[in-house]
Amino acid sequence: MSDTKLPPPLPVRPVDGPGSPRDVPPLPGTLPVDPATLPGPIRDELEAPDPLAIDTSAGELKDGLNRCPKCGATDIRQRAGTDILVCMYCRNEWHGERVEEAFGFGEGIADLRGTVIASGARDIEADAASLMTFKCAGCGAEVTVNTESTMTARCHWCRHVFGVNEQIANGAVPDAVLPFYIRKDDAVARIRQFVDKRRMFALKAFKDEFTPENVVGVYLPYMIVDGSASASVAGKGEIKTRQYTRGTNNNKKTYYDADVYQIERHVEFTVDDLPLESSTERGNLDVNVNTNNIINTILPFDTKNAVKWNASYLSGFTSEKRNSNVQQLQPRLEDQLLSIARAQVDGSTRRYDRGVRWEQEQLDVHGTRWASMYLPVWLYSYHQPGKNGGLLHYIAVNGRTGETMGSVPVQQWKLLLAALTVGTFLEGIAIMILVGMS
Amino acid sequence: MSDDSGLWLLLAGPAGATALYWALYRFYRNTDKSHAFERETSIDAKPVTGSDAKVGNITGTQATRIQGDNVGAYRARVQRVASEAGRDVDDGAPGG
Ligand SMILES: [Zn+2]
Ligand SMILES: [Zn+2]
Repeated sequence: MSDTKLPPPLPVRPVDGPGSPRDVPPLPGTLPVDPATLPGPIRDELEAPDPLAIDTSAGELKDGLNRCPKCGATDIRQRAGTDILVCMYCRNEWHGERVEEAFGFGEGIADLRGTVIASGARDIEADAASLMTFKCAGCGAEVTVNTESTMTARCHWCRHVFGVNEQIANGAVPDAVLPFYIRKDDAVARIRQFVDKRRMFALKAFKDEFTPENVVGVYLPYMIVDGSASASVAGKGEIKTRQYTRGTNNNKKTYYDADVYQIERHVEFTVDDLPLESSTERGNLDVNVNTNNIINTILPFDTKNAVKWNASYLSGFTSEKRNSNVQQLQPRLEDQLLSIARAQVDGSTRRYDRGVRWEQEQLDVHGTRWASMYLPVWLYSYHQPGKNGGLLHYIAVNGRTGETMGSVPVQQWKLLLAALTVGTFLEGIAIMILVGMS
Repeated sequence: MSDDSGLWLLLAGPAGATALYWALYRFYRNTDKSHAFERETSIDAKPVTGSDAKVGNITGTQATRIQGDNVGAYRARVQRVASEAGRDVDDGAPGG
């Protein structure tokens, strides 16, 4: 039983072909096969409900957060499941200043010119020391924090919580953070529901070891980009003018006549808060070597509610660091802007009922504004052993909206057996029809 | 496709098995999912402008769609030409 073998025995898809993250993802809830045609148990699995996500435009998420405005204390907690922050020292509760208003993000996007970079999105200095020493404001002791692995620490002497709060020049600290809103028990329930829907063909070892309580809250680094751009595309389109059949009764063929047009389209647009993974590892969406596309899928976040960077939000969570700069992310941004432009002009090509072949495209980025932000993600991971170190499967829950996506390793032989069984059944029908015809 | 023997029907088994395999595989592994930034980003676009010029016609083709149809494949990059600002842009984008 070679259950951990990778890749699957059928032809492997190219990274950027159909069925990869390079393809426009299918609409939620859509499946390439009709569940009604499948055996009952499989159909039940496919049709079980998915965890509900909160609409990012929903009222619950309208209010942002900020740090204690009353005493400036650093030990700040979020009142679980709410957007309210509580100061652990003076018990002050408040909703706070959002970066959206504080920094004017979201305004004047159409007038952006050049590349505007917020302080936290500046290039990371290659030799930036990851060890930083802080003087504890509580007792005066000096404590060293390794910012490679953590952005917060607790003073060993007085338990005062402090962290990397200053905007240091090397870009290691983000501009803003979006605090967790979905609680851990909620995330656990969502992950359980997601996996319950995918048990029949799941790898046995995965099912045996499944413990969603081990989910970890992680702040992942993103660049949030506003941009103003214009794009042009050119190509050929065809409109059907005639359709007819030729040939004898047994050998009929359908032919088409069509008019061919040279088409050009131009669109000017702005994008507001486009998120880009700013960790090289997370930005690599190659589904043949990792499952980062799972984390990518739970985007977007209600980034409008992000608050000014404060390491206090990180206590109790882990965080990953940014390692790519604006320059390195520029190609990804341009690629996405071109895709957006193509989606925008789609509606203007409807008369071409035989489709359009775009041949050339052109992008002019007038201006961009970059902010570095930590976004909250609940991550459950499972390591599937195999060649080349195996594969790390993620189930990710958006820490704000609860949107849940995951990769469940499959028991290859079970899946093949089911496919072959259905295939054999179909083949039987085909043979019966053929026998009946002769 | 419609040769008179109807032997193409024999493809039903392998085709059905493959389709089901990949549908279930994707349902579990979600390799086809990613952030749908095209429809989930807040975008403010001015009206689309452009031109359409008839350049020819085709008669008697059996193809139901234009060759290389990519109107819905927003992420498939095509030849990148220099932007209006005059900058030279390499055709280095992935896909195609
Ligand atoms: Zn306070
Ligand atoms: Zn102290």
